[in-house]
Amino acid sequence: MIKRILALVKKEFIHLRNDWWLPAFMLFGGVLELMAVGWATARPIQNLPMMVLDHDRSAASRSLVISLENSETLKLEAMVDDFQTIEDALERGQISAAIIIPPNYAEEMADSNGKPTLSMILNGAESVPATAALRAAEGVIASLNEKLIIKRLRLSPDEFSGFAPRLRVWFNEALSEALYTTPAEMGLMLEFTTLLFAALAFSREKELGTLEQLLVMPFSSLEIIIGKAIPVIIIAMTDFTLMLAMVHFVFKVPIRGSLPLLFILAFGYLLVELGKGMVLSVISKTQMQAFLLVLLFGMTDFMFTGYAAPVESMPQALQFIANIVPAHHWLEILRGILLKGAGMDVLWPHVAALAILGTIIMTFSLRFVRKALD
Amino acid sequence: MSLRHILAITRKEFNHILRDRSTLILVVFTPLAMLLLMAYALTVELQHIPIAVLDYDRSATSRDFVQRIVSGNDLDLYAQVGSIAEIESLLIHGKVKAALVIDPNFSRDLLAMRGMPMQVIIDGTEPESGGFAVEHIASRAQEFANMALSTQIQMMGFSADALNPLDLRIRTWYNPGLKPRNDLIPGLISMVLGMPALSVALALAHEREHGTMEQLMATPIGRGELLVGKMIPYIVAGLVNVIILPLLAMSWFNVPFNGSFPLFFALSALFMFAVLSMGIIIGVFMKTQAAAMGVSFLMIFFPGFFLTGIFFPIVSMPEIMRLESLGMPGTHYATITRGIFLPGVGMEILWPYAIMLIILGFSFTGIAALFFRKKLG
Repeated sequence: MIKRILALVKKEFIHLRNDWWLPAFMLFGGVLELMAVGWATARPIQNLPMMVLDHDRSAASRSLVISLENSETLKLEAMVDDFQTIEDALERGQISAAIIIPPNYAEEMADSNGKPTLSMILNGAESVPATAALRAAEGVIASLNEKLIIKRLRLSPDEFSGFAPRLRVWFNEALSEALYTTPAEMGLMLEFTTLLFAALAFSREKELGTLEQLLVMPFSSLEIIIGKAIPVIIIAMTDFTLMLAMVHFVFKVPIRGSLPLLFILAFGYLLVELGKGMVLSVISKTQMQAFLLVLLFGMTDFMFTGYAAPVESMPQALQFIANIVPAHHWLEILRGILLKGAGMDVLWPHVAALAILGTIIMTFSLRFVRKALD
Repeated sequence: MSLRHILAITRKEFNHILRDRSTLILVVFTPLAMLLLMAYALTVELQHIPIAVLDYDRSATSRDFVQRIVSGNDLDLYAQVGSIAEIESLLIHGKVKAALVIDPNFSRDLLAMRGMPMQVIIDGTEPESGGFAVEHIASRAQEFANMALSTQIQMMGFSADALNPLDLRIRTWYNPGLKPRNDLIPGLISMVLGMPALSVALALAHEREHGTMEQLMATPIGRGELLVGKMIPYIVAGLVNVIILPLLAMSWFNVPFNGSFPLFFALSALFMFAVLSMGIIIGVFMKTQAAAMGVSFLMIFFPGFFLTGIFFPIVSMPEIMRLESLGMPGTHYATITRGIFLPGVGMEILWPYAIMLIILGFSFTGIAALFFRKKLG
């Protein structure tokens, strides 16, 4: 049996050799693309253009503008003289926010009972930068307020600690964006590569009419499946290793937990994805169908990795679905081992979930693929 | 170029798609299904973030404060714990995203106006939720301090709002309440509409793989005609979505559509042209569909998701990546969809993006046609 499987694996590799640059491209191109995307997105949101309409033109208002700029989230696009300019810029999407300083700003700031007000206009057409701009402005206002309170109520500046909590960040002390964006982006890339090669396994033979030839040969359907699976697993594991090395060395993502455990679990996860890809492969009649199904399923899974929205905030029904998505558990495992240094004692619920899902998917896909082949 | 020739190719391609019902369904409905999915899963407003509380003060004031923080939908109290070690275990298990630690002298310091000694610990692996919790706690703390100290401050001869002297008034244009759904859905529409480009790349590679390209070349149909003819069915499939997707966004997700629909349609057609040309280039270079898949995933799909500014603002990217994103039709089209949906702007503002789409479209088709000739000539 092993000999026959090896013969099949050899056949697959001959295919790959004729098209040698495809796996090469997917592996190295994938790592490069991940690097580019990681580089572009693994940074705090910064340089958001803002305009300031300063009716006051005092030292106080200038210092306010400087502290806003110092937050680095915002970048002064222009000091303007009339509201019309701001309106135009917002409409053109040229700025994320605008600050309007009233004429009596310095006066009210100096008066011990004064109530200075500032207006901020946010460009809601893009909510992500608008929210970041709002947070930055609120931070600046809060620290200004603290200074005012100390001065006005004659509190002791050494004793007064403010009414805001101190912040401590665990597992990612420097709050580096790369640490949480790159594992998710890597997960997406890995899943697509695996699904893509798995989905090609049968759909290509079917479309080119060579599947019949394979079936009349003295191979059992199980041997065909294993023979098809081995090259995919080799490619996927290589992909995983390359990407892990890249994020570790380029983006300084730590590996705090056990590396062997990570590889064992990665292997298990990839088997699950492989099973899924094989099912997609036998249910599609052409390669185009297989490809579109891969995109659809791959994207569905990516939704639950917590890249853009945490699962806890999703509607109940979606939270339930998240539990039956292997990628969701995989990302928890990946983040847990890399960033939190978690071991099996912590990760076992996700590992168990992955094992159960894996058993179901593999049993189903074996049955399904065998039935489709016989 | 002859219209008859183009139409002949188009008809052939249509037959291809229509003959197989499931391909038809996939080509037309994948963008729709993806939009639905992403709109549900990616545009959620943060809420119900689980937190833990460690209260060393154990006073009526601190209990009152905790109550105030976890009331409402934003933060949920997962557990009151007794030690930092418990917090660590909850964070590492991912049971909570943040923890509030109240210092022993919390209420004493508060009443003496020395501040509110407390600490928030967040899980740095998911800083979105943690950051949200910090913000929420900070704003509630401010309110709480104002309330707890109001009588004291008034006795000292200050006005009740003396603790909050500087007032920041926020107005949000185009999207009151900053609902992520309202601007992400138009952005996502621009992303899913790029999907037919992947199909066209595969369709061209299909001809090469099956060796039918030579047969096509032996007919009196020109190469340009062939490319245009191949593109048309996918443009049609895309334009069906250009009509369905905004309707879905408006009726199902209540996203406002303030601009002109004809303009949206016209600019979407331009985008389809530009993005399909990208697909054509890939189709021309790749000999097998498998290769076309891999390349179009890496060159169109993956960067289209991350680099077109839907989730991460382009102004914050490094210089070179900003250039790459300018070379992608999706970037310009995302600006167009958002502009037309929310502020409802017209051509007077969108013309530079339209011109970019035209330039990209023609240069991509030009490159494709040039190499197409060389490859087959």
